[in-house]
Amino acid sequence: MSDINIKRISYLAKLKLPSEKEEFYSNSLKDIIKWVDNLKKVDTSKTEPLHNVTEKTVSIRNDEVSKSNSVDDVLSNAPERAQNFFKVPKVVE
Amino acid sequence: MSNNWEMVIGLEVHAQLKTSSKLFSSSPNKFGSEPNENVNFIDSGMPGMLPVMNFGCIEMAIKTGYALNFKINKHSVFERKNYFYPDLPQGYQISQFEFPILSEGYINIESGDNQKKIRIERAHLEQDAGKSIHDIDPKYSFIDLNRVGTPLLEIVSYPDLSSADEVINYMSSLRQLLMYIDVCDGNMQEGSLRADVNLSVRKKGQELGTRCEIKNLNSFKFVKQAIEYEFQRQINIIDGGGEIEQNTMLFDTSTGETRAMRSKEFSHDYRYFPDPDLLPVNLTQEQIDKIKPLVGELPQDKLNKYLDNYSLDKDIAKIIIAEKQNANLFEKMISESTVKPKFIAAWLVGDIFAFLKENNLEVNSLNDKTKDITDLLRLISDDVISNKAGKEILPKVLNGEGKPSELVKELGLEQVSDSGELEKIIDEALIGEEENILKFQGGSDRVLGYFVGKCLKATKGKGNPKLINKILLERLKK
Repeated sequence: MSDINIKRISYLAKLKLPSEKEEFYSNSLKDIIKWVDNLKKVDTSKTEPLHNVTEKTVSIRNDEVSKSNSVDDVLSNAPERAQNFFKVPKVVE
Repeated sequence: MSNNWEMVIGLEVHAQLKTSSKLFSSSPNKFGSEPNENVNFIDSGMPGMLPVMNFGCIEMAIKTGYALNFKINKHSVFERKNYFYPDLPQGYQISQFEFPILSEGYINIESGDNQKKIRIERAHLEQDAGKSIHDIDPKYSFIDLNRVGTPLLEIVSYPDLSSADEVINYMSSLRQLLMYIDVCDGNMQEGSLRADVNLSVRKKGQELGTRCEIKNLNSFKFVKQAIEYEFQRQINIIDGGGEIEQNTMLFDTSTGETRAMRSKEFSHDYRYFPDPDLLPVNLTQEQIDKIKPLVGELPQDKLNKYLDNYSLDKDIAKIIIAEKQNANLFEKMISESTVKPKFIAAWLVGDIFAFLKENNLEVNSLNDKTKDITDLLRLISDDVISNKAGKEILPKVLNGEGKPSELVKELGLEQVSDSGELEKIIDEALIGEEENILKFQGGSDRVLGYFVGKCLKATKGKGNPKLINKILLERLKK
């Protein structure tokens, strides 16, 4: 099993992790992976991957427009709005 | 120094598909609306909302498959590409990864005097992100989600391109094809076609170097500038004893320079996995076959037709096929008249296009004037009016100032093609020209031009020059 880089994982998940908790979560994740690794015991070399057990293919719709929500609906959960924009702390790359 | 170096380039082109609605929601797919006008709860990433596949996007992908010589895959899978950014409210982009809808295509581009085959690894469907606006407020970014969920076809080439010019030829060929098959409006200013450039350098004949990716270039000019800058930047680093770091770069349009973009603290990991909200796309051969006739004639088909059936010059044919609307206009004129296609083509790329350019008009603005145009060309090719008179009337016809035959009468531009009348004029013109007649008979061709000019003048420019020539020769040879 590969080692866990808990700093990188929390960075990718955008979660703040206090350093004293790093070891605890690192070990927890290791346990989970160890458990999931049990799946490797099954020989799947002759089995096609299964994406879903219910249907065979994606459901589709025709290319038609319908407007279901207004700007105010969409912005009603915004932490902050400015005119008709979402307003968020500056993020520039 | 840099002549030992060569660049190796692969391109990722993002083409916005011109469907009416978005990839997974029925919000309008429209540019230039008020902020957050075209957004519903699916687009804004509200919990519990389910994406539903727009079949129009599949159709357009299949058309592209035919046009770019792709293998069209019956089985493809949507996956989640996970990253955080304010204009991506879902927290992931739905894209295709392991199983794209199209694989292993190619197009031929011009490279110098030769054709070069550019192989295309894959093309897949994915969602576009929204837009962040950073320059309204110093402390905040403003987010407009209108573009979220716009269908994109990302077309990924192999690293077969080796100069800025080749890249531009490749991009413009793609743009032309996508516009011909009517899946993308090709409007680069509005971002309908954007490219990421992957560039590495190497000494000629050596192995591939480390590449950098320049993101989001939306004009041919910027593509060229960015490539030239990045090429030199990488050479300078290696010449200075350094190593190229694999980086994502941004091109600064104000300085013409590239700079590293993404945080380098940790390498990116998009943690792709099949989207549990979307089942795999499984197409039948029948569904795929049904779309083939919608592809229509491609630029190369038209070029061959124009050269073989209409005997156009290659340069003229190329100008006409460059844009589908040119070709449509040309073919409409051919279908509506008996004027020779070659004659129509010459006037089209000459005086007609010049008129459009001068007046800043679209080619399509002439679609309802084709009959008048060909009527005028008929008058010219039948020698009812001279070429010169044709040029004079054309702008009036294109401006809709009248019917060609009426304008000819109004302006008194009808040519004198009555041989009796012309004979009379010619005979008069030859009186007292014994010396010149002898010169002609002695072998001086220049005298013929003098006589034609004299006769034309006598007809006030309205004499049919061909006929004058013919009658003159008959008279002079006696």
